Amino acid sequence: MEQRLTRREWLATFVKALTALLAFVYGIPALVMLIVPAFRRQKVPWVKVGNASEFTSGEPKAVTLSYQRRDGWVIRTVRSTVYVVSTSDGSLKVLSNICTHASCAVRWERDRKAFFCPCHAGYFDASGKVMEGPPPRPLPEFPHKVEGGVLYVRLESV
Amino acid sequence: MRKLLEWLERETGLISAWGRFWTQPLPAGVGWGHIFGALTLLTLVVLFITGGALMFYYSPTPDQAYASVQYIEHYLPAGQFIRALHYWAARLIVPLIIIHILRVFFWGAYKRPRQMIWVTGVLLLLTVIGYGLTGYALPWDQKAYWGTVVRLKIAEGIPLIGQATATFLRGGDTVGAVTLMRFFVLHVFVLSVIVFLLVAWHVLQVRRMGVTPPGVPVNREEEVEKPQRLYPEHTARIAVGAVILTALLVWLSLNYPAPLEPRANPMDTAYKPHPDFYVLWLHELVAFFPSHLEFVGSFVLPTLLVILLLLVPFIERNPERQPRKRLTALTTGTVILLVIVGLNVKGMESLPEPEKLSPLEKQGQKLFVELKCYSCHGINGGGGPVGPDLGLGGKRDPEQVRSILRNPAAHNAHTVMPAYQLEPEKENALVAYIVSIGPNSKMPPVPPTEPEKPASHFEENWFVNHKFEVRKDPASCGDCHKPFFCQACHQNRRPSSHDAQWLKFHFGNAAERPEMCASCHSPDYCDSCHRVMRHDTQWLQQHGSKLAQFGEKMKWAGQTMSQMCYQCHTPRSCQGCHSGALPASHKVSDFLRDPQVGHGKVALKQGTASCNSCHQPQFCQSCHGLPMPHPEGWDSDHPQVGHKNPALCQRCHNFKDETCQTCHQAAPSSHTEDFRKEHPRRITDSGASCQVCHGRNACMDCHKLPMPHPGNWDEAHAKLGQQRGWKGYTGVKNMQKAQCANCHDIKYCNQCHQP
Repeated sequence: MEQRLTRREWLATFVKALTALLAFVYGIPALVMLIVPAFRRQKVPWVKVGNASEFTSGEPKAVTLSYQRRDGWVIRTVRSTVYVVSTSDGSLKVLSNICTHASCAVRWERDRKAFFCPCHAGYFDASGKVMEGPPPRPLPEFPHKVEGGVLYVRLESV
Repeated sequence: MRKLLEWLERETGLISAWGRFWTQPLPAGVGWGHIFGALTLLTLVVLFITGGALMFYYSPTPDQAYASVQYIEHYLPAGQFIRALHYWAARLIVPLIIIHILRVFFWGAYKRPRQMIWVTGVLLLLTVIGYGLTGYALPWDQKAYWGTVVRLKIAEGIPLIGQATATFLRGGDTVGAVTLMRFFVLHVFVLSVIVFLLVAWHVLQVRRMGVTPPGVPVNREEEVEKPQRLYPEHTARIAVGAVILTALLVWLSLNYPAPLEPRANPMDTAYKPHPDFYVLWLHELVAFFPSHLEFVGSFVLPTLLVILLLLVPFIERNPERQPRKRLTALTTGTVILLVIVGLNVKGMESLPEPEKLSPLEKQGQKLFVELKCYSCHGINGGGGPVGPDLGLGGKRDPEQVRSILRNPAAHNAHTVMPAYQLEPEKENALVAYIVSIGPNSKMPPVPPTEPEKPASHFEENWFVNHKFEVRKDPASCGDCHKPFFCQACHQNRRPSSHDAQWLKFHFGNAAERPEMCASCHSPDYCDSCHRVMRHDTQWLQQHGSKLAQFGEKMKWAGQTMSQMCYQCHTPRSCQGCHSGALPASHKVSDFLRDPQVGHGKVALKQGTASCNSCHQPQFCQSCHGLPMPHPEGWDSDHPQVGHKNPALCQRCHNFKDETCQTCHQAAPSSHTEDFRKEHPRRITDSGASCQVCHGRNACMDCHKLPMPHPGNWDEAHAKLGQQRGWKGYTGVKNMQKAQCANCHDIKYCNQCHQP
């Protein structure tokens, strides 16, 4: 009788172990598939803006970019506009054209030498700093790089 | 925790029920043969887990279904594994159920009082087949689409209800978005509810009536000992079976991922769906009947078989369970089983033989993928819509394939296929592979392109309509395609906008939508012309010399540079400046005559191409009266002109020029010794020929008078006399003496002037 009991106990442990193994084999991949992608940061691609030499005129220049963004299995074409500004020391700056106040699109006013937001008359200077009006922060700047004379920008969400 | 469980037990009694379920006693003789029901259940659970995980990512719409499956396959960690598990579990559950049913059948376990367990089991088999049929369509690849189309067509063949059933499942006339959603909901919801209810019923009935003791007649079950329990004795067997099954599933899933054919293409009529091997016996059955009775094979017989299966426990009422004592039932069952297996084996013969490729052909197949031949050519479906499907068209001649590869244009002048100059061994491999392609060949697996093609590229007529998309947002094409992608085709087939007038109008398009041009042309494409004539701020000062330079060196479709300008500009736009203003070269003080910087020198030095950029070629002739610059053979031709009108020559040339002197230094033969005396009579052509050497005023030098006398001399010589102060008779006398006597004597004057 005692021997029989130990066999039963042993079998019970055996069954529990195998059940755990099965749960592991089927459960872990399924959980990995559900959890890991959610925490994966999408790589923000460098988008080509144009030849860097085009932007050295001193005037901020608006460039409309069109690029593809992956949204799960859907790939969408996204367009956005940035202003490329050449600073006094010759380097470039890529500014968002979205006003920090109410997200209207700003435009460069040549006469005032300022970005003008038509919604609530906000003004930013060429480096994006607020000159007057309601905007709380300067125009956001995007990271950029120049490679082989070509300007690329990374449109991180700001 | 313990308290919670105790509370739960007090309130519901679930815990003890759970315990009673697992510790239920099992009769002696229940052993390894009895684990298949549990393994089926386990497979069903695996399908639920993996299916549930897949459902998190699957999107049941035709434009996204395939993309989402690809996303699962290629972007999700373990996605491919989970999908393969789902695929293989679905493959294995049918044989598991069949083994389970056969075991129950041969053991006679369906007999009283367990008839309904058998019935629910058969219903579960049908539900699982339903799962298979609906799940088949979900990846929305070629196989899914065409398989579904064919099955619904078969269903339509069933009399009375067929048409309605097929239309209901399809959700309309054609297989499409509604069909896919219906199949999805059937697969994940409707069938799941049914399967849950049936499994619960099936399992609880087994629990209530106990597992059948093998070999014991119906009425003597009570006498059987029950020495073992479900847990842990029998569960240990199940667990071992489950681990083996899992090992098999995992091995299959890791080594044979679930297939994914090219995306469903309803236009692809070259695709041939092949039935899966486990339904071949049905196809064979259908083939037995003439076409108008097809439904007998496809519907009546399978339905009868299902009804027979359902009715088994009610037909065989023999209480014996020992196989020896129920030979009739077992023989009938075995015969039916053997017929099905036999039909299936026969059906497998009709399956196309799988491609067998030699190593050389395999290498060619790899090249076929590497060179992206598939993006234009399909092989019995799949592939791009541009070139002909290579699965069609019979056996090919290797030499012809080779020549087409090397120079497709020689084969078909309008082809867009690029020429391939391959190394000989690569070419041989590719040719061998292409020649080997037959009606049973399959598209080799093609790696997914990155990023994947957007849905628009799978729309009907995409190939025809892509130009509209390009016009909408050409930059978006450039995100994936290199500029020269377009030219792969368009070098032979230009966009319809690029017609004969295009050169004239391209500037407007290029200025307004430069990205349009950039979608085909590389940035330096414009430079090939505009480098020379870039209209920048310097242009106005330089355009003359630039034009001259260009006109000399380049030709554009046989046009000179001035014609090029007129593609955009009208002649008037030049005249806007040039009617008054002149090019810089023309501004030197005496451009017309200066021997150093004058137009003649310039024209001689640089050629007249630069002149031609403004002036017509006849422009020179309008002054020179001669073909300018002198055409070839002028040396021998010019005496004629020179004799007729030496003044034309003298506009440029002085007869003391070295050029003239080289030939003309010796006096002409007419100038004999007495020529001075004789010359008046010898002058035959009004003295023109004299002027060739002597110049226009040579006569004046001696004669002091215009010689020969001009036409109105009668009046003119009187005026001349007056001018020189000779009046009256003496005047005439003096004049005669001074001027005329050289040739005329006094009598000549006296004819008019009376002495």
